[in-house]
Amino acid sequence: MNVKIALIFSLLLFAGLIVGFTDSVATSEYTAVVYNQSDSPLPNRNFDKMMDVLTHQRCMNCHPNDNIPKQGDESHPHNFGVAGGENDHGFQAIKCTTCHQPENNAYSGVPGAPHWGLAPASMAWEGLSRAEIAESMLNMKTNGGKDHKALVKHMTEDELVLWAWQPGVDASGKLREVPPVSEAEFKTAVKQWFANGAVIPSE
Amino acid sequence: MTLALTVNSTSHTIEIADENTPLLWVIRDMLELKGTKFGCGKAACGACTVHVDGEAVRSCSYAVKFAEGKQITTIEGLGDEKNPHPVQQAWIEEVVPQCGYCQPGFMMATAALLEKVSSPTDDDIDKNIINVCRCATYYRMRKAIHRAAALMSSLPLPESQNT
Amino acid sequence: MNQDKKNTKKVSRRSFLVRGGLGTAGVLALGTYLFRNPIRRVVAGAINTADAPFSGNTDTPIVWFEVTTDNYIVLHSPKVEMGQGTFTGLAQMAADELEVSMTQMRVVHANSASGNVDGFATGGSTSISSLWMPLRELAATMREMISSEAAKKLNVNTSDLSITDGVITGGGKSMTYAEAVMGVKDWKVPDTPKLKSLSDYKFIGKPIARVDLNDKVFGAPIFGMDATLPDMLYGAVARPSLIGAKYIDANTSKAENMPGVVKIIKEKDFVGVVANSYIEAHNAKDAIEVEWETDKNWSTADIRAMVEVGKGKAYVIQKEGHPDESLEDPTETIISEYWSPIGAHAQLEPNGALASVEGERVTVMISTQVVGLTRDEIAKRLDLDKNEVNVVPTFLGGGFGRRLHTPNAVQAAVLSKAVGKPVKCFFTRKEEFQNDTFRPPTHHVLKAKLKIDGTIEALEHNVSSGDVAFGSPIVPRIAEPVLGADLGAWRGGMIQYGAIANYQAISWRVKLPFATSWWRSLGLLANTFAIESFMDELAVKTNRNPAEFRLAHIQDDGRGKRLKSVIEAVVEKSGYSDEVINGKAMGFAVSTDTNTPCAQVVEVSIHEAEIKVHKVTCAMDPGLVVNPDQVRAQCEGAIIMGISAVLYEKMEVVDGALTPTIYGPYQMALMKHAPKEIDVVLLQGAEVPGAVGEPPLGPIGAAIANAVFRLTGKRLREMPLNLDKNIVS
Repeated sequence: MNVKIALIFSLLLFAGLIVGFTDSVATSEYTAVVYNQSDSPLPNRNFDKMMDVLTHQRCMNCHPNDNIPKQGDESHPHNFGVAGGENDHGFQAIKCTTCHQPENNAYSGVPGAPHWGLAPASMAWEGLSRAEIAESMLNMKTNGGKDHKALVKHMTEDELVLWAWQPGVDASGKLREVPPVSEAEFKTAVKQWFANGAVIPSE
Repeated sequence: MTLALTVNSTSHTIEIADENTPLLWVIRDMLELKGTKFGCGKAACGACTVHVDGEAVRSCSYAVKFAEGKQITTIEGLGDEKNPHPVQQAWIEEVVPQCGYCQPGFMMATAALLEKVSSPTDDDIDKNIINVCRCATYYRMRKAIHRAAALMSSLPLPESQNT
Repeated sequence: MNQDKKNTKKVSRRSFLVRGGLGTAGVLALGTYLFRNPIRRVVAGAINTADAPFSGNTDTPIVWFEVTTDNYIVLHSPKVEMGQGTFTGLAQMAADELEVSMTQMRVVHANSASGNVDGFATGGSTSISSLWMPLRELAATMREMISSEAAKKLNVNTSDLSITDGVITGGGKSMTYAEAVMGVKDWKVPDTPKLKSLSDYKFIGKPIARVDLNDKVFGAPIFGMDATLPDMLYGAVARPSLIGAKYIDANTSKAENMPGVVKIIKEKDFVGVVANSYIEAHNAKDAIEVEWETDKNWSTADIRAMVEVGKGKAYVIQKEGHPDESLEDPTETIISEYWSPIGAHAQLEPNGALASVEGERVTVMISTQVVGLTRDEIAKRLDLDKNEVNVVPTFLGGGFGRRLHTPNAVQAAVLSKAVGKPVKCFFTRKEEFQNDTFRPPTHHVLKAKLKIDGTIEALEHNVSSGDVAFGSPIVPRIAEPVLGADLGAWRGGMIQYGAIANYQAISWRVKLPFATSWWRSLGLLANTFAIESFMDELAVKTNRNPAEFRLAHIQDDGRGKRLKSVIEAVVEKSGYSDEVINGKAMGFAVSTDTNTPCAQVVEVSIHEAEIKVHKVTCAMDPGLVVNPDQVRAQCEGAIIMGISAVLYEKMEVVDGALTPTIYGPYQMALMKHAPKEIDVVLLQGAEVPGAVGEPPLGPIGAAIANAVFRLTGKRLREMPLNLDKNIVS
């Protein structure tokens, strides 16, 4: 009973933060939303948290299944017919880096991070279930030859991955939505999930 | 802060309070090179396209701090009346501009494309030239791009162009 | 030749003044006769058919030409150059009568202090046509004036002189225009000389390269946004996002401490900031907390409901026979409806101005289509004499009607006065999209009754539109009660098929809560989309070839003859066929805009619900063509701009705000959407130049929709044309 109330309470608090967040210029902190990790009734807690992030548009927008990056919280196809092209970094002369620089641009609202670009087609997650995304992610044939250790490093240290929590403002100056799990929590969840054997729950 | 920039092969040292100021405004209002245009400030229209180390970059969305130590080329550095870049020559021969405001951005984007693809197909042009022209001079632009490609393949490139 | 006369008003000797030995002054006072006729329909007809009047300055000496010491001729153009090629056409006209080469011609914008300011505007596709007679007469007169001075200096009779490339030769000696002009104090003004015959022109009628080509290819600082003055600062003005928002007050305390801020200026109707750079000015402006008052939270649905035919006030602008009686029986009447959306100008150079107020003297450099109005508004706001305000027009980074209203110039002047330094103040792109003077949305109801032989017995076009001309500061208030119907909204809305016995056009006027105004071609785009789609429906219904169906309803007068000619020409050139071949279908449509008929055939395919225009054949009769290459360029541009408006563009009203506010989300035609073939056929059915820049926007919408019908059997009735994803061609 206590656990339930705590969970509802933290969900409400979380919702409040999200609402408040959209109108606030301050960088959001999630420190208030702390699940009690040891008491959680959810068996796949780490997996779910990780997937809450990976399936969020901040991540999914650049893991498309059609070579076309998506934009915005409603994930529309990138304006002006932009695509990943042959190397996932744009066409011959109009590249991702024509507009996207190593960091966000607050004046234009163009997001940026190092090696901005699309995930390779082998890592297309659009349209996949959570389990399928996880399978694709763990498969060294599709993930660029990464073992678990390399995956953890990629997911918890890569600047483009971590951009999801610093997505900056859009063209109209509004802060982009961040994933529903904090960066710290995500990192912990990823590490624990891999440490516990990277078990993909059956759907 | 002090930044050292090389624009059209000329070195400049500028003092600027906000290192995130878009390169566009430094080029236009501090270096007084007005050929690079402001159209939207959102990297959407392409009117502000310049070359940074030979690559097309939309300067309204490029913090000036990133330009330090790089070679910047603007329309003024692409070529001049005495020594036009083949893209400019082709633009003249096809009488492309109408109002002319967006044209420098298109020419810079085209010059960057021809550096990568010497003889672009229509599909290459459609994918890579995605600037906005309200006079809708696209029909002549396409002809001029093909003409520029022909000029570049049969003529030696002028020395001054494209750092 | 009859048309020639209407535009002819000889330059009188009395009004021909000379200043400084280099300038001359010409006066053409045709004024605003268009609005004097109290009978609405006659006026409507007159505007639709009249040749363009030139309404330049009438009472003060004004500089038209300068002769420079190195023998260039500088033409001070009363019309601004916004891409339409006017500078080039005017230079051709002047060079031919002046006997100079094109390379000797320079064209600059006349400024309001010393040049000839057109009392109307640059717009309406009238620049070349309205100056056709006056400019050539001025040039010819000046040629005679210079040559008579040369005769004196060379001591020969003027009849013994010959002129080539601005060099006068006689009696074995020669001198340049510059030499002839130098030192002359008292000019003798001759009667206006006879103009050359068309066949003697070396430049008129030839595809001369644009005179502004090099400036535009090499990035010269020629636009309003490129203007600079010493010690210039940068301004920004807070502009509302919401429709109908009125400025109440502002809290500027946060903005005052922003970096680079020089001064915050609070006026009764706006708040602005002056800072050391563009970025600092806009950063500070964004930090101002502005209190806006709005009365309603508007939506697209609200606007659409307002624009329905039947809601506004109706004015019959054209009527022949007994259309009401003929269309009385609903069982025999075919009725169709069409819609067009709110359109943005989206010109690439944002609006703005550089103003310098020094005591009582004001200089404003600006992209404007209304030099005189810009000057007058600044003078009024600063309580100065008009003569103290010099508006220096720059090249326009696109006009399209957006720069027929320039309150931003007033704001820049107010900011400059407040800081005592020149201030450059420009819109952001978002401000452009939300504070545009939009193309109004329209609704059209068309009705027809067919005879047993398949021809039309009666036809009626109802157009409901937000205002275009009314409310615009360049249209006299007096025009509203006289005309009733908005002359911009019904442009292209009259029925051009005079062989029909009974027809009428009815204009329904709606006041919308946001600014709607001139957008290249005004009502022509939407009106022709509606009428010519409907004509296609009738042709299909009666199993007739669409071009032949049109031809059968055109009268046999002069206008009718020209209209038939463009139809026949476009059919022949395009090889029009109703058949769908290799997944491509053709579509036909024709329009008449201010005396210029234009017919187009498009070739269209559909791929995954995306409409693709492959080829456009365009036959147009703009009368005499001064520069065929630039007339073609106008056709090409207008066609693609039309494709953009017809297939992609649409502003919405969401939560009280016009949206989107950026290119991309405001979809427009890009390179990939432009047809790869555009074939332009130019006919010459008149000996004077007519409208060029707008008429080719007429047929394109209906032509595309008619082709889509042949591919899919589906009649698209709303711009932008949108095919259901499920439809496979």
